[in-house]
This record gives sequence, structure tokens and C-alpha cells, in this order.
Amino acid sequence: MASELRVNTLKDAAGNNSIATSFVAGGSAKAWSNYSGSGTTFRDSFNCASAVDNGTGDYSVNYTSSLVNDDYSVSVGIRLDSGANPAYNSRSVELKTFATGSIRYVGQVGGGSAGDYDHTCPQIHGDLA
Amino acid sequence: MASLLKVDALTGVTTAGSISVTGEGNSTTTNLQQGLAKHWGWFDTNTSNTVRNSFNNASITDNSAGNYTVAATNAFANIYSCVGCCTGSASDPNVSGQSGAIYSSTTAATFATQDYNGSAGDADFSFLSTGDLA
Repeated sequence: MASELRVNTLKDAAGNNSIATSFVAGGSAKAWSNYSGSGTTFRDSFNCASAVDNGTGDYSVNYTSSLVNDDYSVSVGIRLDSGANPAYNSRSVELKTFATGSIRYVGQVGGGSAGDYDHTCPQIHGDLA
Repeated sequence: MASLLKVDALTGVTTAGSISVTGEGNSTTTNLQQGLAKHWGWFDTNTSNTVRNSFNNASITDNSAGNYTVAATNAFANIYSCVGCCTGSASDPNVSGQSGAIYSSTTAATFATQDYNGSAGDADFSFLSTGDLA
């Protein structure tokens, strides 16, 4: 039987570890994914509809359910599996375009040039529409 | 009306591992389980292998300079978790930024920290993983 519970606060049965349900909703990731930068197929994902390869190291991820605004938090983990000294290549990510339904970013190797990565993992925290 | 629920475990009725939560905008629902961080940690690996704080983490292993393995207590359903990591070093400010990370198994992730030239170097690091638990 489906059911709906409306409550403001959660505690464990002993009455400890109180947390407001607003923290549960606000603190949860609203979207995440794991995919190869040389393709756009998700290995695993949550609330991600599709990925777009805009060019070398340049990606967009579209959300299934949009955020309420474009003022949300994004962190992106990236990794190379092969190439010259792959485990230690310097890495950074340039966040380019925040939209309620998508994020666009560019992964960079050492020196600031764009590069494709074997693993790109964006995580989105913010408010759902 | 304010309300308080005291409970030790939450389980979905239709699907045990799926509970919907209404989003902040009051119109969209999100999945409670899939949005939760499943594995995170904050480690002082520059001078020792001290775990400052962590969640669902059993251990950390120092494999070599700038190379670490962390073990999750409860396993993931697959190796495709979404993991991000940031590094920093008070003794060597050049060893900072991001770290390459990947889950090599459902319970172990490896991290490689490096300086801006790409040379391996020890650094403090924190990571956060989302994904599906087994």
C-alpha cells in the first residue's frame, strides 16, 4: 500500500539524532552521474536524462527534474585511466553554464588545456523545482 | 502543525529501497536513498594517515606517495559510484586541487594526489561519494 507521511522532524527511536526533514531534502544530492568523457552513456546516474559531448573535454549534463533556480552547487570528479603518467595528471574543472535543467563544464589537464577523461562524476546539490 | 517522528529505520512500502521526498519547490519529488551521500571522509595523509572524520568508511591504506585506498564498510551495488575529491597541503601549497579517484571494487576507492606539475605528492584530502548501495 502506498502511503504518505508528513512530518517536520526525524529522530531515532531513542529520541536522539534529531534532524529536520528540510535538512533531509536540502542536504540530498539532486543529481549525480558517472560516465566516460569519450562518450555520453551513463554508467550509473540519478536524475540525469542525458549527457552531451560539446567538444574535447566540454560536456553538458541534462537533468530529468529541473532545479528551482540556477544557483546550485556543483562538484565534479574526473580521472584518466590511460595516457602519459595517467594517475597524476593535474586536473581541474571549469564550470561554464548553470541552467535549471543542465550544467555545462570543461575538464582540463595540466596547463589548462581541455581534455577528455575516462571518468567524469558531477554531483549537484540545490533546490528542486 | 509541527510533528516529530521517532524511528530507527525508514523503508519504502512499494519498493524497500525507494522513498520519495518532496523537493524544496513543493512540486517535484526526489528519491531519498539515491540522493544520500553513501561514503565520505576527511583524511590527514600529509604527515600521517589520520581519519579526521568519515562516514561508512572502514579504513585507509597509504599505498605510496600520493596514492591511497579507502575501504567502505557497506558495499556499493556496482563500481560506478559518483566520487569527487579535493586535496590540500599546508606544507606544500603546490599539492592542491583535485584528485583522480575511482572505485576499483564495490568497497574500495583509490585516490591519486599530485602537484601542479603532475608529480605524486602526499596531501590531505576529502572525498564524497554518491551511488547505489548493495
